[in-house]
Amino acid sequence: MDIEQLISPERVRCLSGLEDKEQVLQHVGELISIADPQLTGTEICDRLMARERLGSTGLGHGVALPHARLEGIERAAGALVRLDHGIDFQAFDKTPVDLLFVLVVPEHFTDEHLQILAALAEMFSDPELCERLRRTESDRELHAALSEWRPASDAT
Amino acid sequence: MELTNQLILFGAGLLLISIIASVVSDRLGAPLLLIFLSIGMLLGEDGLFGIAFDDVQAAHLIGSVALAVILFDGGLRTQLSTFRVALKPALALATVGVAVTAGLTAAAAYWLFDLNWTQALLIGAIVSSTDAAAVFSLLHSRGLELKQRVAATLEIESGSNDPMAILLTILLVELLIQQPDSLALAATVEFVQQMGLGAVFGIAGGILLAATINRINLTPGLYPLLALGGALAIFGGTAVLGGSGFLAAYLAGLVLGNRKLQASQNIRRFHDGFAWLAQITMFVVLGLLVTPSELLPIAIPALLTAAALTLVARPLAVLLCLAPFRFPWREQAFISWVGLRGAVPIILGLFPLLAGIEGAELFFNVAFFVVLISLIIQGWTIAPAARWLGLEVPPDSAAAQRQEIDVPQQTDYEIVVYRLTENSPARLKPIGTLALPDSAQVAALFRGGVALSEPQRQILQAQDHIYLVVLPEDIPGLDRLFVAPLGPSYLEEQRFFGEFTLSGQTRLIDLATAYGVSVPQGAQPEETLNDYLLWVFNGRAVVGDRVRIDNLQFTIREMRDSEITSVGMRIR
Repeated sequence: MDIEQLISPERVRCLSGLEDKEQVLQHVGELISIADPQLTGTEICDRLMARERLGSTGLGHGVALPHARLEGIERAAGALVRLDHGIDFQAFDKTPVDLLFVLVVPEHFTDEHLQILAALAEMFSDPELCERLRRTESDRELHAALSEWRPASDAT
Repeated sequence: MELTNQLILFGAGLLLISIIASVVSDRLGAPLLLIFLSIGMLLGEDGLFGIAFDDVQAAHLIGSVALAVILFDGGLRTQLSTFRVALKPALALATVGVAVTAGLTAAAAYWLFDLNWTQALLIGAIVSSTDAAAVFSLLHSRGLELKQRVAATLEIESGSNDPMAILLTILLVELLIQQPDSLALAATVEFVQQMGLGAVFGIAGGILLAATINRINLTPGLYPLLALGGALAIFGGTAVLGGSGFLAAYLAGLVLGNRKLQASQNIRRFHDGFAWLAQITMFVVLGLLVTPSELLPIAIPALLTAAALTLVARPLAVLLCLAPFRFPWREQAFISWVGLRGAVPIILGLFPLLAGIEGAELFFNVAFFVVLISLIIQGWTIAPAARWLGLEVPPDSAAAQRQEIDVPQQTDYEIVVYRLTENSPARLKPIGTLALPDSAQVAALFRGGVALSEPQRQILQAQDHIYLVVLPEDIPGLDRLFVAPLGPSYLEEQRFFGEFTLSGQTRLIDLATAYGVSVPQGAQPEETLNDYLLWVFNGRAVVGDRVRIDNLQFTIREMRDSEITSVGMRIR
């Protein structure tokens, strides 16, 4: 998976003032719909929220990977959001989430969807990456920290 | 005078050596009970000290008391909730399984030794039961955390199959002494009496004992002794009246361990230690009793008997008994392999000696040899076998940094203490802002041995001790707050359960929509993951059970009563 193909600088954001899951996902939905205007931010948010109802996409340790398959978009898109304070995400470890990577893929992307998700989950299980992303102070730094990431070693 | 002092010194030395040996055994991975048995043998006739101990009566007394204590402690630790998945399979193994094992082993013994059928059956009966002491200690050693269905089946089986083996042994010994008129009738009456009285007195005794403990006010130190005295009285009383004292002791422990009990932590801790003492004493004494040189002449046939028992009799009995319950084959294989023999066969081997049967030493020696082989081979391989068969679940790594304390009243609440470390997630956070589980309340905060006032306003630091009142089901939530998720164990947990966690109430159709996977064959789209997994595992689902749907692997992560509350999802 090449992370650069999923994201673009306008979808990597340090956000503040967002209070709950729905607000964050609504905001992210709008970020994504700017690039791919077939769907509105609200539609994207609804699909992400529908997935959350099956079980939180929180990975633990303050990280979450909301994701959904969407009808009507052409290509997979990701967005990285860092919040100034953690919000309740009903994650398994109950830790408030402040780091989110949102992934949306076209409806027909069945296998790719799972492959990208698995790769993202692996990537965001790396505590060093999460630490580095949390230390950044601007959207640009956040983007740079994400782009610089390489798997720690092939052995793991 | 002089002799008394020497005996005390000798006994204490023995105890100390046995306890220190346990550290060595941990390093070597050797089964602890084997070490105790070896110490006894080393001290005995053919060993270094040449102590000639052959008081069968005394050995029987010590062994019986020790077994009663061990079974009572085993019962105390058995959660009644595990009965949901394991009671019926375990009871099948404890009754039919014992008889089948005894019969098949007898067939081998009949060919291997120059015996008639009754004598061969006696050998089969003596070695037919798995041993509670060995099973409990090996299943809980070395951080082994097994899937509940497997561990509970083995534990309940070992706690409840001794009466059957004892019964068969007594019947066959009687048969060898005199020929009763109607064996079948005698056997049936004896069986019903042993099991029935054992069950009734065990449960009633347990309820009575729990009520007594809760009613009377004693010095704290006396509660564990009251429990111990009660347990032994239940054991002795049941046995005197013709019931199975061992079954009664196990059931009394079970009742006590699953009721609200005054001073329950105190009682548990005491009995944990006391059960160790019982094991050490029992195995050292049994090791002393045997004359190793007498084992040599029977070594080859006894070895073959052990092989027949382990490789043929036990697996067939397990296959037969578990057939109705549809256990996964890996679990059947493991249960077959962990048919551990321990003190019970050796003690049963004493029965023919006590009855004065001609050639009774043979039974004892064969029993001893079979147990020795079982402890060496099975005891040593239990952990690798569990790993190889994939039956381990991630252990509760937080338990080491958490301590539980008695709450003076009878309540469901517990007091737990955490010591904060440098990498505890709650460090440097104000207590007031922690996302505590609903039932949890901060009771006190200690820093440098001093209790701080207004703990809610404090910021947590490393080395702090925080005391919380909490309901037991919320303890895992507290663990996540206060205990550092050690890198490897967190990763291990994530690898085991998968990256994502779904609610048990997720409908299969919603899963199919979200991930484009199919609804599995035989399942309805409207069914939830909970329904589907319970159906797949025949109503006996446990944490760690897994299924695969296309490229997704689902592993049961949490259960409440018999409902699956959360399921891990892994993409592969």
